[in-house]
Amino acid sequence: MEKKKIGIIGGGISGTCLGYHLSLYDNAEVIVFEKDTIGGASTAKSAGTVCLFDDSLKNRYWDVRLYGFESYLKMEAEEKGSAGFDKTGTLVVATNEQVEATIKTGIALAKAAGYSGEYITDKDRIKEILPDISTDNILGAGYTADDGYFDGTMISNTYAKKMQKNGGVIKTGVKVTEVVVKDNKVTGLKTSEGEEYEFDYVVDCTGPWSKFTGEMVGVDVPIWHTKAEAFFLCPPGKKLNYTFPVLKYPEFYGLRAGDNIFICKSHLSMDLNNPMHAGQWDPDKLPATGGTDDYFIDFLLDQLEVKVPGIVDSGLVSSWLSYRAEPKDFLPILGETPVEGYILATGYGGNGVIEAPAASRDLAKLIMRGESTPLLEDWAFKRLLG
Amino acid sequence: MDIAVLIKQVPVSNNVSVDPETHALIRASAEGMINPADLNAIEEAMVLKEQTGGKVVVFTMGPPDAEKALREAMAHGCDESCLITDRAVAGGDTIATAKVLAEAIKKYGKFDLILSGALSADGATGQVGAMVAECLGIPHVAEIQSIQYDEAVPDKIDAVKKVYGERFHVRCALPAVLSVNFGSNVPRLATLRSTRAAKNKPLATYTNADLKLPADQVGIPGSPTAVIDSFEPTGGRMAEMLEGTPEELAVKLKNMIDEEKGKL
Ligand SMILES: Cc1cc2nc3c(=O)[nH]c(=O)nc-3n(C[C@H](O)[C@H](O)[C@H](O)COP(=O)(O)OP(=O)(O)OC[C@H]3O[C@@H](n4cnc5c(N)ncnc54)[C@H](O)[C@@H]3O)c2cc1C
Ligand SMILES: Cc1cc2nc3c(=O)[nH]c(=O)nc-3n(C[C@H](O)[C@H](O)[C@H](O)COP(=O)(O)OP(=O)(O)OC[C@H]3O[C@@H](n4cnc5c(N)ncnc54)[C@H](O)[C@@H]3O)c2cc1C
Repeated sequence: MEKKKIGIIGGGISGTCLGYHLSLYDNAEVIVFEKDTIGGASTAKSAGTVCLFDDSLKNRYWDVRLYGFESYLKMEAEEKGSAGFDKTGTLVVATNEQVEATIKTGIALAKAAGYSGEYITDKDRIKEILPDISTDNILGAGYTADDGYFDGTMISNTYAKKMQKNGGVIKTGVKVTEVVVKDNKVTGLKTSEGEEYEFDYVVDCTGPWSKFTGEMVGVDVPIWHTKAEAFFLCPPGKKLNYTFPVLKYPEFYGLRAGDNIFICKSHLSMDLNNPMHAGQWDPDKLPATGGTDDYFIDFLLDQLEVKVPGIVDSGLVSSWLSYRAEPKDFLPILGETPVEGYILATGYGGNGVIEAPAASRDLAKLIMRGESTPLLEDWAFKRLLG
Repeated sequence: MDIAVLIKQVPVSNNVSVDPETHALIRASAEGMINPADLNAIEEAMVLKEQTGGKVVVFTMGPPDAEKALREAMAHGCDESCLITDRAVAGGDTIATAKVLAEAIKKYGKFDLILSGALSADGATGQVGAMVAECLGIPHVAEIQSIQYDEAVPDKIDAVKKVYGERFHVRCALPAVLSVNFGSNVPRLATLRSTRAAKNKPLATYTNADLKLPADQVGIPGSPTAVIDSFEPTGGRMAEMLEGTPEELAVKLKNMIDEEKGKL
């Protein structure tokens, strides 16, 4: 069988997950180039929630959600800790009828797949699950004990390890500095080490860097950065005496992180036209911690006072800022570009952990067998052109 | 008791390199944070304020963006703040820094007690607190663990030091400067509410036009210290990668720890 040589730029969850799925094909020769460390960028700052139902990804992409969730469960079952699963369950709060309908459909889908899920309107029962919540002004909440959140960095490193077992190669600390194109076709790439490699395909898995990566081949990758500002709160009593579930509101979400609570603004509440929310920045300038805006404090205080008053007087332990890479419709950009052999697996925005497994599975099929899938058609680059 | 606390904004990142020409430190990251020991000083001040009443005013000399550190200090509970920022005072050594801080404290008002951190995380000379005391002509106690104040003896304070595992109480007259050790207490956390409130707390800004220190006493001209050499630590990465199953790794780790213990 003729070998196909594939170079992947970026070793976040996008690059490692795709690398692994490609390495399942006997005739794939894969090299992942990562300028820093595996899963150390957006993926490391992620909340890593992969919930059976919430509003982060529409119910029509149920297969994507389920494939992601079950891939990580399998990983965790193979080696405990390899996906960093914390099974806290999820409480999705219905603040209006539209959210309520979405939750109910999500629960039906989860149950059909064999998981538990219930829509609760009994407010005492909701308070049993999350004593610090206010049940005023809510219609109800969806709850499952079966899911929780994962660790994107652990997952990336596990995928990297699995890929290496299958013969794939990882080069960390190596930056791709040039993508070589002849007659509008990719032939290889050059790195910061001064090496040159030949490839049939080069895949951009650089998330927030894709704007710069695309420039190397003259492709304008239409992504914006939305600010993902996260805070770690230390509850007033220092320790919670219950399991804090993944808590989802349309405006923000929370989850436990050790004895602390991680809170982040939901990505669908970001407005691409608001310069406080979105823009195009240099991800290399992001500090490891801090860097959050003042407005976020006001936002969070207002939200928590009304919705989760029990934790509003928590201590601020730390915070960080990251950029989610999103096109205008907040869906990923997968597949072919106007430059032959230059493939995109980027724009995962606020859902990269959920979406990477299904997207990588389909993209590997496209690259190795030339077969497209309905998902790839939906998330193709060409939808954003013109 | 009215208390002044001196804080320094230090870089978050440890990636500080050295300019080979000037021997000055080049800060890789623009992001700053409050020097860790200064958070312990703030905590001591807050505890004393709870005991005795009065107000806590936090001072820093630094670039305009050091306002962030002051706002954070006020989110931790300090009542007021004072930023001394002026190109004329920039680049000062410890003595030039101390003169400016002492002058700013005098101009701001009367204080019963002045607290500093024992050591900054970047310059790390541990001199500024003592020098401020010298400039103000008041006593100084270095590297203290805690403070005890007895209302029956209102003009004195006990600084508690730890020496060779023993606790020593050093009683000194007020006003005084005490330099608080890093890790001597657990600083309270700011909350969302206190962070928002800090935005509206008073912040005074002084330049040397306010302090009126002679130009040859401050900044680079006022700094007798000559840094004759500075260098980045060599040795590089010493990490050793262990391989094996979790069980094998645990055994290897235990052996390595035992081996290190043997060396002690
Ligand atoms: C605060 C926060 C919370 C989130 N919560 C969730 C969640 O709950 N659930 C969910 O599914 N998703 C969540 N996300 C989104 C998810 O984390 C991202 O979609 C995902 O991590 C993106 O992965 P990536 O591999 O595309 O990008 P990254 O992880 O940023 O990886 C890109 C990599 O490319 C490398 N690179 C760039 N240029 C080059 C070059 N020229 N040469 C070599 N390497 C290069 C970079 O060093 C980097 O490691 C969250 C994100 C954030 C920030
Ligand atoms: C070799 C060397 C190179 C240096 N290079 C630079 C440089 O390139 N750039 C630079 O900015 N500095 C530099 N400095 C440090 C500069 O001299 C200090 O900013 C200043 O003199 C304080 O000294 P320190 O950091 O040692 O403080 P220390 O004496 O260790 O600090 C003790 C306490 O004094 C108080 N304090 C110290 N500084 C301030 C302040 N500015 N405002 C309020 N309170 C304060 C704090 O409470 C602190 O905890 C250098 C120092 C050395 C030794």
